[in-house]
Amino acid sequence: MNNIIKKINFYNLNRTQVLGIIFIVQMIVQSIFIPYYFSIYGFFDASRAFVEIGIISLGMTLVIISGGIDLSVGALLALVSVSIGFSYDAGFPMWAAMLLGLLAGVLGGAFNGVVIAFFRVHPLVVTLGTFALFRGIAFAISKGGAVSKFPEWFGFLGQSYVWGYVPAQLFLFLILSIIFWIILSKTSLGRYIYAIGNNIKTTTFSGIAVGKVQIYIYTLTGFLVGVAGIIHTSRIFTARGNAGFELELACIAAVVLGGARITGGSGTIAGTILGVLILNYLKDGFLFYGLRSDWGLVIIGLFLIIGVFINEFFRKK
Amino acid sequence: MEDIVCILNNISKTFGENVFACKNVNLKLNCGEVIGLVGENGAGKSTVVKCLYGLHSPSSGSIVIADKEVLFKSPKDSEQHGVFFIPQELDLFPELTIIENLFIGKKIPRNWIGNFDWKVLEKQADEIFNNLGVSFDFYMPLKLLSAANAKLVEIARALINEAKIIIMDEPTAALTQKEVKKIFEIINNLKKKKVSFIYISHRLDEIFEIADSITVLRDGELIISDHKNKFTKSKLVQYMVGRPLDQIFYRTKNKIGKKILEVKHLSYENNFKEVNLELKKGEIVGLAGLIGAGRSELAQTIFGLRKYSSGEIYINEKKININSVNDAIKFGIAYLPEERRSQGLILPFTIIWNMTLSSIKNFTSFGYINNHEEIKFVKKSSEKFTIKGAKISSPVSQLSGGNQQKVLVAKTIATKPKIIILDEPTRGVDVGAKAEIYKIIDDLANQGNAILLISSELNEVISMSDRIYVMHEGKIKGEFQKNEFNAEKIASVSAGII
Amino acid sequence: MKKKYNNLLIKFFSRPETPVLVFLFFLIFIISIFTSNFLTVANLKGILEQVVVISIIALAVNQVIYGAEIDISTGSLLAVCAFVYGLVAMETGGSWIALLASLLCGFIFGLFNGFLSTYGKVPSIIVTLGMLFILRGGLLLSNPGTVLNLIEPMRFFGMGNIFGLPVSIYCLIIVIIFYHFLSFNTLWGRNIIAIGGNPRAAVNIGLPINKVRMLSFVGSGTMCGFAAAVYLGQAGQIQATAATGFELKVIAAVVLGGTSIAGGRGSNFSPIVGALLVGVILNALTLNRIPPYYELFVLGLLILIAVSFDGFRRKLLEKDV
Repeated sequence: MNNIIKKINFYNLNRTQVLGIIFIVQMIVQSIFIPYYFSIYGFFDASRAFVEIGIISLGMTLVIISGGIDLSVGALLALVSVSIGFSYDAGFPMWAAMLLGLLAGVLGGAFNGVVIAFFRVHPLVVTLGTFALFRGIAFAISKGGAVSKFPEWFGFLGQSYVWGYVPAQLFLFLILSIIFWIILSKTSLGRYIYAIGNNIKTTTFSGIAVGKVQIYIYTLTGFLVGVAGIIHTSRIFTARGNAGFELELACIAAVVLGGARITGGSGTIAGTILGVLILNYLKDGFLFYGLRSDWGLVIIGLFLIIGVFINEFFRKK
Repeated sequence: MEDIVCILNNISKTFGENVFACKNVNLKLNCGEVIGLVGENGAGKSTVVKCLYGLHSPSSGSIVIADKEVLFKSPKDSEQHGVFFIPQELDLFPELTIIENLFIGKKIPRNWIGNFDWKVLEKQADEIFNNLGVSFDFYMPLKLLSAANAKLVEIARALINEAKIIIMDEPTAALTQKEVKKIFEIINNLKKKKVSFIYISHRLDEIFEIADSITVLRDGELIISDHKNKFTKSKLVQYMVGRPLDQIFYRTKNKIGKKILEVKHLSYENNFKEVNLELKKGEIVGLAGLIGAGRSELAQTIFGLRKYSSGEIYINEKKININSVNDAIKFGIAYLPEERRSQGLILPFTIIWNMTLSSIKNFTSFGYINNHEEIKFVKKSSEKFTIKGAKISSPVSQLSGGNQQKVLVAKTIATKPKIIILDEPTRGVDVGAKAEIYKIIDDLANQGNAILLISSELNEVISMSDRIYVMHEGKIKGEFQKNEFNAEKIASVSAGII
Repeated sequence: MKKKYNNLLIKFFSRPETPVLVFLFFLIFIISIFTSNFLTVANLKGILEQVVVISIIALAVNQVIYGAEIDISTGSLLAVCAFVYGLVAMETGGSWIALLASLLCGFIFGLFNGFLSTYGKVPSIIVTLGMLFILRGGLLLSNPGTVLNLIEPMRFFGMGNIFGLPVSIYCLIIVIIFYHFLSFNTLWGRNIIAIGGNPRAAVNIGLPINKVRMLSFVGSGTMCGFAAAVYLGQAGQIQATAATGFELKVIAAVVLGGTSIAGGRGSNFSPIVGALLVGVILNALTLNRIPPYYELFVLGLLILIAVSFDGFRRKLLEKDV
């Protein structure tokens, strides 16, 4: 299979088109079983939950295309949420608490990036460690408790509607999606990310500071986790240490379903977004149908393995 | 002693379109004979040998071992026929013990309890090592052995597997004189035991000492094959180097300006020490030498890929620090890497993306790429360098080797450098494209750029350069002005003979 | 001129777990000064109990990592196998049958993991990450509120005593002997290290890479089954959320012990030293009244430190561009 970027785009576009079709079919089928979906309310309401996954998946797309992985995003989300809640509880003004949460996300991502770039440890292992580390810090700050008292306006981002029925966070997701689509497909950073994922040696020989790029993308992902953390805390109006459980799984599954090879070098924002949509509407559909939330774990795990299997097993050498 | 143990008939190997790595090579190996296989870098020695030990399958031709024609599908296949390859660098398992390495992949006998019975194998190993004249504690991990001893273990493994043909690639590269003597002793002993060798080396002295006959390859073809007594050193060099003049080199008279790059006492690890050289504007300076001489490492150090341990670099007489590739590019240095496919290009990327990879900043504002400008530039470069074979939006893997190389050249100079280091710029390139690349190089020099041309093709170096440095084992061993150019002399200095 | 490598001192100092062992003794010394009830028999017994379960699985995951792969599904698999053990034990009243069932369960999932990771061409991180959640989800779904309680006789593997020593220690010893045997008396044992250390040469020599790697996963799965019998025996009861996050302790034990995450290098004993380190540190936290959620923090920190050292060591050794 010829793997030029344009044709990768074409393949992914093909793939993206396929995904688009799958999504439409899925929505039609689900609407039949669950009439609620057939209304705009239903369609949009379900989107509240997945916006957080979607936002982080944007960063995860960049990470996976570069040949890396980030297992710590769920734990970092908890850390962000806890930072917001407990600093507010400690007396910080709300806006400062939100800023603190954002900062926590950025610092966490930067930490990942620096260890990966400087110590040359595989991202898998580093983020496995920070997966535990961040979660641990989150628990340490929250001491197992939770904060649920926030100013009313804080709930805007997570719970309110814009233009009647569009959830506020969906807007943010849309904007971020466009930004990241631009970054990946229209900037030099995006080019470098594809290059690193395809051939690190050539990229280094071409004068690109691979380490710096890695630090950027993990930090960017951390920033996105910060944003998602704010939205999450606003939505459930609670900050506690066990937020974001299984989040990393959902993000990776979405990116892989969207067409990115787990080994790096290919992938698109559009594909990832469709992956997010398909997976989460599926999960949501199950929930609605009365299936317990634990099905989510099984479904996402299955799709993750199946997604990569399809990408890898059928690839011609 | 006169039985023929192996015959290579008209072995040819092509990779892709027109690029043949070797063509119609014939080889006859007698029982208990050592064939010295010599030739410049890229002459086709490793390709021929890889066909013999099963890593490649020849595009045409046949291999006959002990009167039977064979077709090897893998190194394991060839090992079962008694053909063993001992590479230049250790290819065993440092974490396993010596005896485990010896018998890796084979069934280990068990004693009555059911444990591995290493004792039984110890006897076998003892015997083999005695023949080699060494003894080791078998239960020591391989990583604790010296390079020479590890090589002996590799030889021992071949012997335990009843090797009849042992191919050795630069076996003495990392060895001391004493250790080399030891290896030769062993080879001579094994010859008496009817083991045959193909011995690849650039060290012509050693070839004359250990080989019974010598086979010379050049440009992928067999030049001559004869008893070693029929050669003198200088004749041998001539065969390796001399070429029919059907190559079109291209040099115009150019103006040489002031000194632009100078390195003094530059050293890096074990790769090169105390290197002094200088380049002038508009000059093409050749850097000759063998593999392992340290030329690529030197180039990469100047380009910022490696951090030099001592020495200074001057540009336009001003001392500078190069700590990264970015620094080097900023100072106007560019480097075209030796390995086009793994270091120079990203094969799945389009021609466009490849050509602008180093210089994308020229087309961006605040990070945003101006595709229009980019395509304009690539179109212009493609025309200038006559890159043909596919649309610029196609993957670069679709191009022929020569056109790929031209893309690489275009990429290298896209950063608008003043000092251009080219590492084997015409390797694996067909004659037509070679000529075009020579013209490009000449043009670059005429524009006032300084060019350092690293090449193992002596004719190329001699025809294109204004001055030639020769490197040998990490040091600059000679500098030749244009009126002193002499192929045999340069080859001899490269081989360390002079 | 036979250089005797038997010199015990040389052997001792070149083993990867030696620095960790030294550090461990040092740590025990420090902790015992600051924490009063650390060196009591009861406390040490408690540490050993935890360490045994971690070690059994870590010894198996160690082999997976030798082969340059990874298995992070062990926490969920441990819980699933424990449930299988519990259910079978309660049904049949026999602990040995339950053990068999648990082993079988682990074996099957290990085989599945291994097959997908090798012949299926799906990277092991994805397979085992996916399985981590699929198994946990499956467990939660099928046993939402259930708490299994075991009576004494069925807790044999965790609570029993033979000749004064806990059965669990015997279990660990069996596993140690098993892996010692595998590594030094089977081709498989040598091959997995070869494959992880120099995959290219392994291919050239013709070693059966897929088969060997797959078997390492079968090992880690089966050992989850074995450890489950001990685990449930010790705890006495279990619910579907049991052993969440356990896989981190296992990985920490392996990398802290000195096995290189890149593969091809390590010792068979080091995971136990690593497990001891993990056990001691976590115990020290508990004794000092540090809340349990700090556990994760500490585990993560330990893993990061261990792999950073390993990464740094490799960076220093590889001078190549």
